[in-house]
Amino acid sequence: MTWTIVVGIKQVPDADEVGIDPDTGRLDRASAPAVMNGPDRHALEAALTIRDAVDGEVIAMTMGPPNATSILEEAVAMGCDDAVLISDRAFAGSDTWPTSLTLARAAAELGADVVVAGEETTDSSTGQVPPGIAAHNGWAQLTYAEAVDPRPEEGRLVARRDVEGGYELVAAELPVVVAVAFGEFDPRPAPLHRKIYGENDFEPTVWDAEDLGIEDEVGLDVSPTSVGRMETVDPVERKNEVVDDVDDLAEAITEVTA
Amino acid sequence: MTDDGPAIDPGEYEDVWVFVEEHDGDVMPVSWELLAEAERLTEQTGDDLVALAIGEDLADVAEEAIARGADRVLVADDPVFEPYRADPYGEQFRAMVEERKPSIVLIGGTHTGRDFAGRVAVPAHAGLTADVTEIDVDDEGILQARRPAFGGDILATILCEEHRPQMATIRPGVFEAAEPDPDRTDGEVVEVDVVVDDAISEVLERSVGDTADITEADRIVAVGHGVEGDLEPARELAEALDAELAASRAAVDEGWIDGARQVGQTGKTVRPELYVAVGISGAIQHVEGMNKSETVVAINTDPNAPIFDHADYGIVGDLFEVCPALADRLGDEPIQEVVQ
Repeated sequence: MTWTIVVGIKQVPDADEVGIDPDTGRLDRASAPAVMNGPDRHALEAALTIRDAVDGEVIAMTMGPPNATSILEEAVAMGCDDAVLISDRAFAGSDTWPTSLTLARAAAELGADVVVAGEETTDSSTGQVPPGIAAHNGWAQLTYAEAVDPRPEEGRLVARRDVEGGYELVAAELPVVVAVAFGEFDPRPAPLHRKIYGENDFEPTVWDAEDLGIEDEVGLDVSPTSVGRMETVDPVERKNEVVDDVDDLAEAITEVTA
Repeated sequence: MTDDGPAIDPGEYEDVWVFVEEHDGDVMPVSWELLAEAERLTEQTGDDLVALAIGEDLADVAEEAIARGADRVLVADDPVFEPYRADPYGEQFRAMVEERKPSIVLIGGTHTGRDFAGRVAVPAHAGLTADVTEIDVDDEGILQARRPAFGGDILATILCEEHRPQMATIRPGVFEAAEPDPDRTDGEVVEVDVVVDDAISEVLERSVGDTADITEADRIVAVGHGVEGDLEPARELAEALDAELAASRAAVDEGWIDGARQVGQTGKTVRPELYVAVGISGAIQHVEGMNKSETVVAINTDPNAPIFDHADYGIVGDLFEVCPALADRLGDEPIQEVVQ
Protein backbone atom coordinates (compact mmCIF):
# COMPACT_ATOMS: atom_id res chain seq x y z
CA MET A 1 0.00 0.00 0.00
CA THR A 2 1.17 3.54 -0.63
CA TRP A 3 0.71 6.21 1.99
CA THR A 4 -0.89 9.57 1.36
CA ILE A 5 0.84 12.03 3.67
CA VAL A 6 -0.91 15.38 4.04
CA VAL A 7 0.99 18.19 5.68
CA GLY A 8 -0.86 21.18 7.10
CA ILE A 9 0.95 24.51 6.90
CA LYS A 10 -0.06 28.09 7.72
CA GLN A 11 0.94 31.55 6.62
CA VAL A 12 1.64 33.84 9.60
CA PRO A 13 3.10 37.32 10.13
CA ASP A 14 6.86 37.10 10.52
CA ALA A 15 7.26 37.30 14.29
CA ASP A 16 10.71 38.85 13.98
CA GLU A 17 9.38 41.66 11.82
CA VAL A 18 6.28 42.59 13.79
CA GLY A 19 6.74 46.25 14.72
CA ILE A 20 5.22 48.50 17.34
CA ASP A 21 2.73 51.08 16.14
CA PRO A 22 4.13 54.38 17.48
CA ASP A 23 0.64 55.88 17.83
CA THR A 24 -1.03 53.12 19.80
CA GLY A 25 1.96 51.37 21.34
CA ARG A 26 0.46 48.11 20.11
CA LEU A 27 1.99 45.49 17.93
CA ASP A 28 1.47 46.21 14.28
CA ARG A 29 1.06 42.86 12.59
CA ALA A 30 -0.09 44.27 9.28
CA SER A 31 3.35 45.67 8.54
CA ALA A 32 5.07 42.31 8.95
CA PRO A 33 5.64 40.18 5.87
CA ALA A 34 3.63 36.95 5.66
CA VAL A 35 5.77 33.83 5.95
CA MET A 36 5.40 30.12 6.56
CA ASN A 37 4.85 29.27 10.23
CA GLY A 38 8.27 28.10 11.49
CA PRO A 39 7.09 24.90 13.19
CA ASP A 40 5.35 23.89 9.93
CA ARG A 41 8.69 23.88 8.11
CA HIS A 42 9.73 21.16 10.56
CA ALA A 43 6.44 19.37 9.88
CA LEU A 44 7.23 19.43 6.15
CA GLU A 45 10.57 17.83 6.87
CA ALA A 46 8.86 15.16 8.98
CA ALA A 47 6.36 14.48 6.19
CA LEU A 48 9.13 14.13 3.60
CA THR A 49 11.05 11.89 6.02
CA ILE A 50 8.04 9.58 6.24
CA ARG A 51 7.77 9.51 2.43
CA ASP A 52 11.48 8.66 2.20
CA ALA A 53 10.74 5.55 4.29
CA VAL A 54 7.49 4.39 2.70
CA ASP A 55 5.97 4.30 -0.74
CA GLY A 56 3.82 7.39 -0.91
CA GLU A 57 3.16 11.00 -1.77
CA VAL A 58 3.16 14.22 0.22
CA ILE A 59 0.43 16.83 -0.30
CA ALA A 60 0.63 20.21 1.41
CA MET A 61 -2.59 21.95 2.45
CA THR A 62 -3.21 25.40 3.81
CA MET A 63 -6.30 27.34 4.81
CA GLY A 64 -5.88 31.01 4.09
CA PRO A 65 -6.21 33.88 1.64
CA PRO A 66 -5.21 33.43 -2.03
CA ASN A 67 -1.74 34.87 -1.39
CA ALA A 68 -1.02 31.93 0.92
CA THR A 69 -0.22 30.15 -2.35
CA SER A 70 3.35 31.34 -1.85
CA ILE A 71 3.91 28.99 1.09
CA LEU A 72 2.47 26.11 -0.94
CA GLU A 73 5.00 26.92 -3.67
CA GLU A 74 7.73 26.76 -1.04
CA ALA A 75 6.41 23.39 0.15
CA VAL A 76 6.41 22.06 -3.40
CA ALA A 77 9.94 23.38 -3.87
CA MET A 78 11.01 21.49 -0.75
CA GLY A 79 9.66 18.27 -2.21
CA CYS A 80 5.89 18.01 -1.78
CA ASP A 81 4.21 16.27 -4.69
CA ASP A 82 1.11 18.45 -4.72
CA ALA A 83 -0.68 21.16 -2.75
CA VAL A 84 -4.18 22.40 -1.94
CA LEU A 85 -5.27 25.94 -1.07
CA ILE A 86 -8.47 26.04 0.99
CA SER A 87 -9.75 29.57 0.63
CA ASP A 88 -13.14 31.18 1.18
CA ARG A 89 -14.48 34.34 2.78
CA ALA A 90 -16.89 32.06 4.65
CA PHE A 91 -13.97 30.99 6.85
CA ALA A 92 -13.49 34.50 8.29
CA GLY A 93 -13.62 34.56 12.07
CA SER A 94 -13.18 30.80 12.45
CA ASP A 95 -11.68 29.74 15.77
CA THR A 96 -9.96 26.40 16.24
CA TRP A 97 -13.21 24.38 16.08
CA PRO A 98 -14.21 25.21 12.46
CA THR A 99 -10.57 25.50 11.42
CA SER A 100 -9.84 21.96 12.48
CA LEU A 101 -13.14 20.82 10.90
CA THR A 102 -12.10 22.34 7.58
CA LEU A 103 -8.67 20.74 7.64
CA ALA A 104 -10.16 17.44 8.81
CA ARG A 105 -12.57 17.39 5.84
CA ALA A 106 -9.79 18.30 3.42
CA ALA A 107 -7.51 15.58 4.82
CA ALA A 108 -10.29 13.01 4.48
CA GLU A 109 -11.05 14.21 0.94
CA LEU A 110 -7.37 13.76 0.04
CA GLY A 111 -7.46 10.23 1.45
CA ALA A 112 -4.84 10.96 4.09
CA ASP A 113 -3.21 8.08 5.89
CA VAL A 114 -1.04 10.49 7.86
CA VAL A 115 -1.59 14.18 8.55
CA VAL A 116 1.49 16.06 9.75
CA ALA A 117 1.48 19.58 11.24
CA GLY A 118 3.64 21.81 13.38
CA GLU A 119 2.98 21.69 17.13
CA GLU A 120 1.54 25.20 17.08
CA THR A 121 1.54 28.43 15.09
CA THR A 122 3.61 31.44 16.06
CA ASP A 123 0.65 33.82 15.69
CA SER A 124 -2.04 32.14 17.77
CA SER A 125 -0.08 29.37 19.52
CA THR A 126 -3.03 27.26 20.64
CA GLY A 127 -1.69 23.87 19.53
CA GLN A 128 -5.35 22.84 19.26
CA VAL A 129 -5.72 22.32 15.55
CA PRO A 130 -3.86 19.00 15.11
CA PRO A 131 -5.80 17.26 17.93
CA GLY A 132 -8.94 18.96 16.55
CA ILE A 133 -8.39 17.42 13.11
CA ALA A 134 -7.98 13.98 14.72
CA ALA A 135 -11.06 14.47 16.90
CA HIS A 136 -13.30 15.59 14.01
CA ASN A 137 -12.35 12.51 12.01
CA GLY A 138 -12.13 10.07 14.93
CA TRP A 139 -8.51 9.38 14.04
CA ALA A 140 -5.53 8.66 16.27
CA GLN A 141 -3.12 11.44 17.16
CA LEU A 142 0.52 11.75 18.15
CA THR A 143 1.45 15.21 19.42
CA TYR A 144 4.84 16.63 20.45
CA ALA A 145 6.48 14.07 18.14
CA GLU A 146 10.28 14.27 18.21
CA ALA A 147 10.90 11.38 15.86
CA VAL A 148 8.74 9.30 13.53
CA ASP A 149 9.02 5.66 12.58
CA PRO A 150 6.51 4.59 9.92
CA ARG A 151 5.72 0.86 9.99
CA PRO A 152 3.74 0.10 6.82
CA GLU A 153 3.89 -3.63 7.48
CA GLU A 154 1.89 -3.08 10.69
CA GLY A 155 -0.32 -0.34 9.25
CA ARG A 156 0.86 1.89 12.07
CA LEU A 157 3.09 4.85 12.69
CA VAL A 158 5.26 5.03 15.79
CA ALA A 159 6.38 8.37 17.21
CA ARG A 160 8.65 9.30 20.02
CA ARG A 161 6.66 11.89 22.00
CA ASP A 162 8.15 14.47 24.28
CA VAL A 163 6.43 14.31 27.67
CA GLU A 164 7.21 16.20 30.86
CA GLY A 165 10.46 14.82 32.22
CA GLY A 166 11.00 12.18 29.56
CA TYR A 167 9.59 10.61 26.44
CA GLU A 168 7.31 7.87 25.28
CA LEU A 169 7.07 5.72 22.18
CA VAL A 170 3.50 5.48 20.97
CA ALA A 171 2.19 3.45 18.04
CA ALA A 172 -1.00 4.64 16.36
CA GLU A 173 -3.21 3.02 13.79
CA LEU A 174 -3.71 4.83 10.49
CA PRO A 175 -5.08 7.33 9.74
CA VAL A 176 -3.16 9.35 12.28
CA VAL A 177 -2.49 13.03 12.90
CA VAL A 178 1.08 13.83 13.92
CA ALA A 179 1.97 17.20 15.48
CA VAL A 180 5.71 17.68 15.30
CA ALA A 181 7.67 19.15 18.22
CA PHE A 182 9.42 22.31 17.09
CA GLY A 183 13.17 22.03 16.66
CA GLU A 184 13.38 18.28 16.09
CA PHE A 185 13.35 18.10 12.30
CA ASP A 186 15.93 20.13 10.42
CA PRO A 187 14.20 21.29 7.23
CA ARG A 188 15.96 20.29 4.01
CA PRO A 189 16.87 23.03 1.53
CA ALA A 190 14.85 23.32 -1.64
CA PRO A 191 16.89 22.51 -4.77
CA LEU A 192 16.96 25.25 -7.40
CA HIS A 193 15.06 23.34 -10.07
CA ARG A 194 12.22 22.70 -7.62
CA LYS A 195 12.14 26.37 -6.63
CA ILE A 196 11.81 27.35 -10.27
CA TYR A 197 9.07 24.76 -10.78
CA GLY A 198 7.22 25.85 -7.62
CA GLU A 199 7.26 29.53 -8.48
CA ASN A 200 6.67 29.36 -12.22
CA ASP A 201 4.82 26.23 -13.22
CA PHE A 202 3.04 24.89 -10.17
CA GLU A 203 -0.61 25.75 -9.49
CA PRO A 204 -2.32 24.43 -6.37
CA THR A 205 -5.76 22.88 -6.35
CA VAL A 206 -8.18 25.40 -4.83
CA TRP A 207 -11.12 24.38 -2.66
CA ASP A 208 -13.78 26.52 -1.03
CA ALA A 209 -16.14 25.68 1.84
CA GLU A 210 -18.78 24.35 -0.54
CA ASP A 211 -16.31 21.98 -2.18
CA LEU A 212 -15.85 20.49 1.28
CA GLY A 213 -19.57 20.55 2.07
CA ILE A 214 -19.09 22.66 5.17
CA GLU A 215 -20.36 26.08 4.08
CA ASP A 216 -22.77 26.21 7.04
CA GLU A 217 -20.30 24.91 9.57
CA VAL A 218 -17.50 27.46 9.43
CA GLY A 219 -16.82 31.09 10.25
CA LEU A 220 -17.56 33.31 13.20
CA ASP A 221 -21.13 32.09 13.77
CA VAL A 222 -20.21 28.51 14.58
CA SER A 223 -17.03 29.36 16.50
CA PRO A 224 -17.64 28.60 20.17
CA THR A 225 -15.11 31.18 21.35
CA SER A 226 -14.91 34.89 20.72
CA VAL A 227 -12.39 37.53 21.64
CA GLY A 228 -13.58 39.95 24.30
CA ARG A 229 -11.22 42.58 25.58
CA MET A 230 -7.63 43.13 24.54
CA GLU A 231 -5.45 44.79 27.16
CA THR A 232 -1.89 45.94 26.87
CA VAL A 233 0.21 44.26 29.51
CA ASP A 234 1.97 46.71 31.80
CA PRO A 235 5.64 45.88 32.10
CA VAL A 236 6.72 44.64 35.51
CA GLU A 237 8.57 47.35 37.43
CA ARG A 238 12.25 46.45 37.76
CA LYS A 239 15.16 48.25 39.39
CA ASN A 240 17.30 48.15 36.22
CA GLU A 241 20.54 48.60 38.15
CA VAL A 242 23.59 47.68 36.13
CA VAL A 243 26.62 47.01 38.33
CA ASP A 244 30.24 47.09 37.29
CA ASP A 245 31.79 44.27 39.19
CA VAL A 246 30.97 40.82 40.41
CA ASP A 247 31.27 41.73 44.10
CA ASP A 248 28.43 44.22 43.79
CA LEU A 249 26.32 41.64 42.01
CA ALA A 250 27.05 39.03 44.68
CA GLU A 251 26.02 41.50 47.33
CA ALA A 252 22.75 42.28 45.57
CA ILE A 253 22.01 38.57 45.23
CA THR A 254 22.71 37.77 48.88
CA GLU A 255 20.30 40.52 49.91
CA VAL A 256 17.61 38.77 47.92
CA THR A 257 18.32 35.23 49.07
CA ALA A 258 18.90 35.95 52.74
CA MET B 1 -21.77 14.36 16.60
CA THR B 2 -23.04 17.82 17.36
CA ASP B 3 -22.05 19.46 14.09
CA ASP B 4 -25.37 21.23 13.90
CA GLY B 5 -24.15 23.81 16.34
CA PRO B 6 -25.18 25.39 19.59
CA ALA B 7 -28.89 25.41 20.53
CA ILE B 8 -27.95 24.64 24.09
CA ASP B 9 -29.32 26.12 27.26
CA PRO B 10 -26.38 27.36 29.33
CA GLY B 11 -28.63 27.21 32.40
CA GLU B 12 -28.55 23.41 32.25
CA TYR B 13 -24.83 23.43 32.82
CA GLU B 14 -23.35 23.80 36.28
CA ASP B 15 -20.24 23.16 38.36
CA VAL B 16 -16.58 23.80 37.82
CA TRP B 17 -14.49 20.77 36.89
CA VAL B 18 -10.77 20.39 37.26
CA PHE B 19 -8.94 17.58 35.52
CA VAL B 20 -6.48 15.87 37.86
CA GLU B 21 -3.65 14.63 35.67
CA GLU B 22 -1.84 11.64 37.10
CA HIS B 23 0.75 9.27 35.71
CA ASP B 24 1.49 6.13 37.72
CA GLY B 25 -0.15 7.68 40.76
CA ASP B 26 1.90 10.89 40.58
CA VAL B 27 -0.26 13.95 40.17
CA MET B 28 1.04 16.84 38.07
CA PRO B 29 1.35 19.91 40.34
CA VAL B 30 -0.64 22.07 37.90
CA SER B 31 -3.75 20.03 38.79
CA TRP B 32 -3.64 21.24 42.39
CA GLU B 33 -2.88 24.77 41.25
CA LEU B 34 -6.06 24.72 39.17
CA LEU B 35 -8.11 23.21 41.99
CA ALA B 36 -7.13 26.11 44.27
CA GLU B 37 -7.94 28.70 41.60
CA ALA B 38 -11.21 26.98 40.68
CA GLU B 39 -12.28 27.06 44.33
CA ARG B 40 -12.05 30.83 44.13
CA LEU B 41 -14.41 30.75 41.12
CA THR B 42 -16.95 28.48 42.84
CA GLU B 43 -17.03 30.80 45.82
CA GLN B 44 -18.28 33.46 43.39
CA THR B 45 -20.71 31.31 41.43
CA GLY B 46 -21.98 28.94 44.12
CA ASP B 47 -21.13 25.94 41.93
CA ASP B 48 -19.68 22.71 43.25
CA LEU B 49 -15.97 22.16 42.78
CA VAL B 50 -15.52 18.82 41.03
CA ALA B 51 -12.26 16.98 40.41
CA LEU B 52 -11.95 14.33 37.71
CA ALA B 53 -9.46 11.55 37.80
CA ILE B 54 -8.93 9.07 34.98
CA GLY B 55 -6.51 6.16 35.37
CA GLU B 56 -6.03 3.08 37.50
CA ASP B 57 -5.96 2.69 41.32
CA LEU B 58 -7.03 6.24 42.04
CA ALA B 59 -8.19 6.00 45.68
CA ASP B 60 -5.25 8.06 46.97
CA VAL B 61 -5.64 10.64 44.25
CA ALA B 62 -9.34 11.03 45.05
CA GLU B 63 -8.61 11.38 48.76
CA GLU B 64 -6.02 14.07 48.09
CA ALA B 65 -8.38 15.98 45.78
CA ILE B 66 -10.90 16.14 48.62
CA ALA B 67 -8.23 17.20 51.11
CA ARG B 68 -7.35 19.96 48.68
CA GLY B 69 -10.89 21.28 48.41
CA ALA B 70 -12.95 19.23 45.94
CA ASP B 71 -16.63 18.80 46.86
CA ARG B 72 -16.83 15.77 44.63
CA VAL B 73 -14.38 13.57 42.74
CA LEU B 74 -15.46 11.73 39.61
CA VAL B 75 -13.28 8.67 39.22
CA ALA B 76 -12.93 6.59 36.04
CA ASP B 77 -10.78 3.73 37.26
CA ASP B 78 -9.79 1.09 34.72
CA PRO B 79 -6.60 -0.48 33.30
CA VAL B 80 -7.61 0.75 29.82
CA PHE B 81 -6.48 4.22 30.93
CA GLU B 82 -2.89 3.29 31.81
CA PRO B 83 -0.68 4.65 30.52
CA TYR B 84 -2.24 7.83 29.12
CA ARG B 85 -3.39 7.94 25.48
CA ALA B 86 -5.50 10.67 23.89
CA ASP B 87 -8.24 8.49 22.43
CA PRO B 88 -9.47 6.54 25.48
CA TYR B 89 -9.03 9.55 27.79
CA GLY B 90 -10.86 11.84 25.38
CA GLU B 91 -13.72 9.39 24.86
CA GLN B 92 -14.19 8.85 28.61
CA PHE B 93 -13.98 12.52 29.44
CA ARG B 94 -16.44 13.37 26.69
CA ALA B 95 -18.96 10.83 27.99
CA MET B 96 -18.68 12.37 31.46
CA VAL B 97 -19.14 15.88 30.09
CA GLU B 98 -22.20 14.88 28.07
CA GLU B 99 -23.83 13.08 30.96
CA ARG B 100 -23.10 15.57 33.73
CA LYS B 101 -22.98 18.92 31.88
CA PRO B 102 -20.30 20.99 33.61
CA SER B 103 -20.28 24.73 33.06
CA ILE B 104 -16.52 25.18 33.26
CA VAL B 105 -13.73 22.64 32.69
CA LEU B 106 -10.11 23.48 33.51
CA ILE B 107 -7.21 21.35 32.28
CA GLY B 108 -3.49 21.83 32.95
CA GLY B 109 -1.59 23.04 29.90
CA THR B 110 0.84 20.13 29.99
CA HIS B 111 1.62 18.05 26.93
CA THR B 112 -1.01 15.60 28.13
CA GLY B 113 -3.62 18.27 28.80
CA ARG B 114 -3.06 20.00 25.49
CA ASP B 115 -3.05 16.62 23.75
CA PHE B 116 -6.51 15.54 24.77
CA ALA B 117 -8.50 18.72 25.59
CA GLY B 118 -9.49 19.02 21.93
CA ARG B 119 -10.79 15.46 21.91
CA VAL B 120 -13.44 16.61 24.37
CA ALA B 121 -14.05 20.10 23.03
CA VAL B 122 -14.52 19.10 19.40
CA PRO B 123 -17.26 16.47 19.79
CA ALA B 124 -18.96 18.50 22.54
CA HIS B 125 -18.72 21.66 20.38
CA ALA B 126 -17.33 23.33 23.49
CA GLY B 127 -15.30 26.50 23.54
CA LEU B 128 -11.66 25.75 24.29
CA THR B 129 -9.13 28.45 25.09
CA ALA B 130 -5.46 27.52 25.08
CA ASP B 131 -2.62 28.44 27.36
CA VAL B 132 -4.58 30.65 29.73
CA THR B 133 -2.77 32.62 32.46
CA GLU B 134 -5.68 34.34 34.26
CA ILE B 135 -9.26 33.27 34.88
CA ASP B 136 -12.31 34.95 36.29
CA VAL B 137 -16.04 34.59 36.06
CA ASP B 138 -18.65 37.34 35.57
CA ASP B 139 -22.07 37.68 37.19
CA GLU B 140 -23.66 35.48 34.55
CA GLY B 141 -21.18 32.68 35.00
CA ILE B 142 -19.26 33.47 31.82
CA LEU B 143 -15.64 32.43 32.14
CA GLN B 144 -13.17 35.20 31.37
CA ALA B 145 -10.15 33.26 30.11
CA ARG B 146 -7.18 35.53 29.58
CA ARG B 147 -4.19 34.54 27.52
CA PRO B 148 -1.14 36.37 26.29
CA ALA B 149 -1.27 37.24 22.61
CA PHE B 150 1.18 38.65 20.10
CA GLY B 151 4.23 37.49 22.00
CA GLY B 152 2.97 38.55 25.40
CA ASP B 153 2.47 42.30 24.99
CA ILE B 154 -1.27 41.95 24.97
CA LEU B 155 -3.64 40.00 27.17
CA ALA B 156 -6.71 38.80 25.26
CA THR B 157 -9.87 37.80 27.10
CA ILE B 158 -11.53 34.87 25.36
CA LEU B 159 -15.21 34.19 25.97
CA CYS B 160 -17.51 31.30 25.22
CA GLU B 161 -21.01 32.68 25.58
CA GLU B 162 -23.29 30.31 23.69
CA HIS B 163 -21.63 26.94 24.03
CA ARG B 164 -20.89 24.72 27.00
CA PRO B 165 -18.75 23.64 28.67
CA GLN B 166 -16.38 26.57 28.74
CA MET B 167 -13.03 24.84 28.57
CA ALA B 168 -9.50 26.11 29.06
CA THR B 169 -6.03 24.68 29.22
CA ILE B 170 -4.06 26.64 31.80
CA ARG B 171 -0.36 27.16 31.92
CA PRO B 172 1.47 25.39 34.75
CA GLY B 173 2.99 27.57 37.45
CA VAL B 174 0.76 30.63 37.24
CA PHE B 175 -1.41 29.79 40.26
CA GLU B 176 -0.41 28.62 43.69
CA ALA B 177 -1.68 25.30 44.99
CA ALA B 178 -3.39 25.15 48.37
CA GLU B 179 -1.95 22.86 51.03
CA PRO B 180 -4.01 19.71 51.60
CA ASP B 181 -6.14 19.74 54.72
CA PRO B 182 -6.11 16.17 56.14
CA ASP B 183 -9.23 16.93 58.20
CA ARG B 184 -11.22 17.65 55.07
CA THR B 185 -12.74 14.23 54.34
CA ASP B 186 -16.39 14.99 53.66
CA GLY B 187 -16.13 15.15 49.87
CA GLU B 188 -17.96 12.60 47.77
CA VAL B 189 -16.18 10.06 45.57
CA VAL B 190 -18.26 8.98 42.58
CA GLU B 191 -17.16 5.98 40.53
CA VAL B 192 -18.33 6.74 37.00
CA ASP B 193 -19.15 4.21 34.30
CA VAL B 194 -16.17 3.39 32.15
CA VAL B 195 -17.31 3.66 28.53
CA VAL B 196 -14.01 2.75 26.85
CA ASP B 197 -12.79 -0.75 26.14
CA ASP B 198 -10.31 -0.23 23.34
CA ALA B 199 -7.76 2.21 21.95
CA ILE B 200 -6.39 3.04 18.51
CA SER B 201 -2.98 3.81 19.95
CA GLU B 202 -0.56 1.86 22.08
CA VAL B 203 2.29 3.00 24.31
CA LEU B 204 5.31 0.83 23.49
CA GLU B 205 7.68 2.42 25.95
CA ARG B 206 7.58 5.20 28.49
CA SER B 207 10.63 6.68 30.14
CA VAL B 208 10.23 9.47 32.63
CA GLY B 209 13.18 10.03 34.87
CA ASP B 210 14.31 13.49 35.80
CA THR B 211 10.98 15.21 36.27
CA ALA B 212 12.53 18.53 37.13
CA ASP B 213 9.70 20.87 38.00
CA ILE B 214 11.08 24.35 37.56
CA THR B 215 7.70 25.88 38.36
CA GLU B 216 8.24 24.91 42.02
CA ALA B 217 11.81 26.22 42.30
CA ASP B 218 12.65 29.09 44.64
CA ARG B 219 15.77 29.98 42.70
CA ILE B 220 16.53 29.53 39.04
CA VAL B 221 19.61 29.96 36.88
CA ALA B 222 18.51 30.03 33.25
CA VAL B 223 20.73 29.72 30.21
CA GLY B 224 20.25 31.08 26.71
CA HIS B 225 21.98 31.11 23.39
CA GLY B 226 24.99 32.94 24.87
CA VAL B 227 26.25 29.86 26.73
CA GLU B 228 27.23 28.37 23.37
CA GLY B 229 26.48 24.85 24.50
CA ASP B 230 28.66 25.00 27.62
CA LEU B 231 26.39 24.71 30.63
CA GLU B 232 29.18 24.31 33.16
CA PRO B 233 29.48 27.96 34.32
CA ALA B 234 25.70 28.19 34.81
CA ARG B 235 25.64 24.83 36.56
CA GLU B 236 28.34 25.97 38.92
CA LEU B 237 26.39 29.11 39.71
CA ALA B 238 23.19 27.12 40.21
CA GLU B 239 24.98 24.88 42.65
CA ALA B 240 26.31 27.82 44.64
CA LEU B 241 22.79 29.26 44.81
CA ASP B 242 21.04 25.93 45.38
CA ALA B 243 19.03 26.78 42.25
CA GLU B 244 17.37 24.76 39.49
CA LEU B 245 18.74 25.04 35.97
CA ALA B 246 16.36 26.35 33.32
CA ALA B 247 16.63 27.63 29.77
CA SER B 248 15.26 29.81 27.01
CA ARG B 249 13.77 28.25 23.91
CA ALA B 250 16.97 28.92 21.98
CA ALA B 251 18.98 26.68 24.32
CA VAL B 252 16.32 23.96 24.24
CA ASP B 253 16.11 24.03 20.44
CA GLU B 254 19.88 23.66 20.26
CA GLY B 255 19.49 20.49 22.31
CA TRP B 256 21.69 21.74 25.15
CA ILE B 257 19.05 21.17 27.81
CA ASP B 258 15.82 19.25 28.30
CA GLY B 259 12.57 20.82 27.10
CA ALA B 260 11.02 20.29 30.55
CA ARG B 261 13.26 23.11 31.75
CA GLN B 262 12.15 25.68 29.18
CA VAL B 263 10.83 29.00 30.46
CA GLY B 264 8.62 31.17 28.30
CA GLN B 265 5.58 31.31 26.08
CA THR B 266 5.99 27.80 24.75
CA GLY B 267 7.56 26.54 27.97
CA LYS B 268 6.74 27.06 31.61
CA THR B 269 5.84 30.03 33.74
CA VAL B 270 8.04 30.34 36.81
CA ARG B 271 7.79 32.51 39.89
CA PRO B 272 10.99 32.09 41.94
CA GLU B 273 12.39 34.57 44.46
CA LEU B 274 15.54 34.80 42.30
CA TYR B 275 15.91 34.36 38.55
CA VAL B 276 19.38 34.65 37.04
CA ALA B 277 19.37 34.94 33.23
CA VAL B 278 22.72 33.84 31.84
CA GLY B 279 23.38 34.64 28.18
CA ILE B 280 19.68 35.21 27.52
CA SER B 281 18.87 38.13 25.22
CA GLY B 282 15.37 38.62 26.63
CA ALA B 283 12.91 38.01 23.81
CA ILE B 284 9.40 38.90 24.89
CA GLN B 285 8.33 35.25 24.64
CA HIS B 286 10.92 34.39 27.28
CA VAL B 287 10.19 37.36 29.53
CA GLU B 288 6.55 36.36 29.59
CA GLY B 289 7.47 33.13 31.38
CA MET B 290 9.68 34.72 34.01
CA ASN B 291 8.22 38.14 34.80
CA LYS B 292 6.51 36.82 37.91
CA SER B 293 9.96 36.30 39.45
CA GLU B 294 10.59 38.46 42.51
CA THR B 295 14.11 39.50 41.57
CA VAL B 296 15.73 39.14 38.15
CA VAL B 297 19.47 39.23 37.56
CA ALA B 298 20.93 39.41 34.04
CA ILE B 299 24.39 38.48 32.86
CA ASN B 300 25.06 39.36 29.22
CA THR B 301 27.89 40.69 27.06
CA ASP B 302 25.52 42.90 25.06
CA PRO B 303 24.67 46.11 26.96
CA ASN B 304 21.69 46.62 24.64
CA ALA B 305 20.15 43.19 25.28
CA PRO B 306 16.46 43.63 26.14
CA ILE B 307 16.91 41.40 29.19
CA PHE B 308 18.42 44.36 31.07
CA ASP B 309 15.08 46.19 30.77
CA HIS B 310 13.45 43.28 32.58
CA ALA B 311 16.11 42.84 35.27
CA ASP B 312 16.59 44.29 38.73
CA TYR B 313 20.33 43.82 38.62
CA GLY B 314 22.53 43.33 35.61
CA ILE B 315 26.15 43.03 34.70
CA VAL B 316 27.59 43.52 31.25
CA GLY B 317 30.22 40.86 30.98
CA ASP B 318 31.37 37.52 29.68
CA LEU B 319 29.35 34.81 31.39
CA PHE B 320 32.32 32.45 31.24
CA GLU B 321 34.12 34.84 33.61
CA VAL B 322 31.19 36.27 35.57
CA CYS B 323 29.49 32.98 36.48
CA PRO B 324 32.51 31.27 38.06
CA ALA B 325 33.50 34.48 39.90
CA LEU B 326 29.97 34.90 41.17
CA ALA B 327 29.70 31.25 42.18
CA ASP B 328 32.95 31.69 44.03
CA ARG B 329 31.65 34.68 45.99
CA LEU B 330 28.29 33.05 46.72
CA GLY B 331 29.38 29.50 47.33
CA ASP B 332 32.24 29.88 49.80
CA GLU B 333 30.06 30.00 52.83
CA PRO B 334 26.37 29.60 53.44
CA ILE B 335 24.53 32.60 52.02
CA GLN B 336 22.97 33.61 55.34
CA GLU B 337 26.39 34.04 56.91
CA VAL B 338 27.64 36.21 54.09
CA VAL B 339 24.85 38.63 54.81
CA GLN B 340 25.64 38.93 58.51
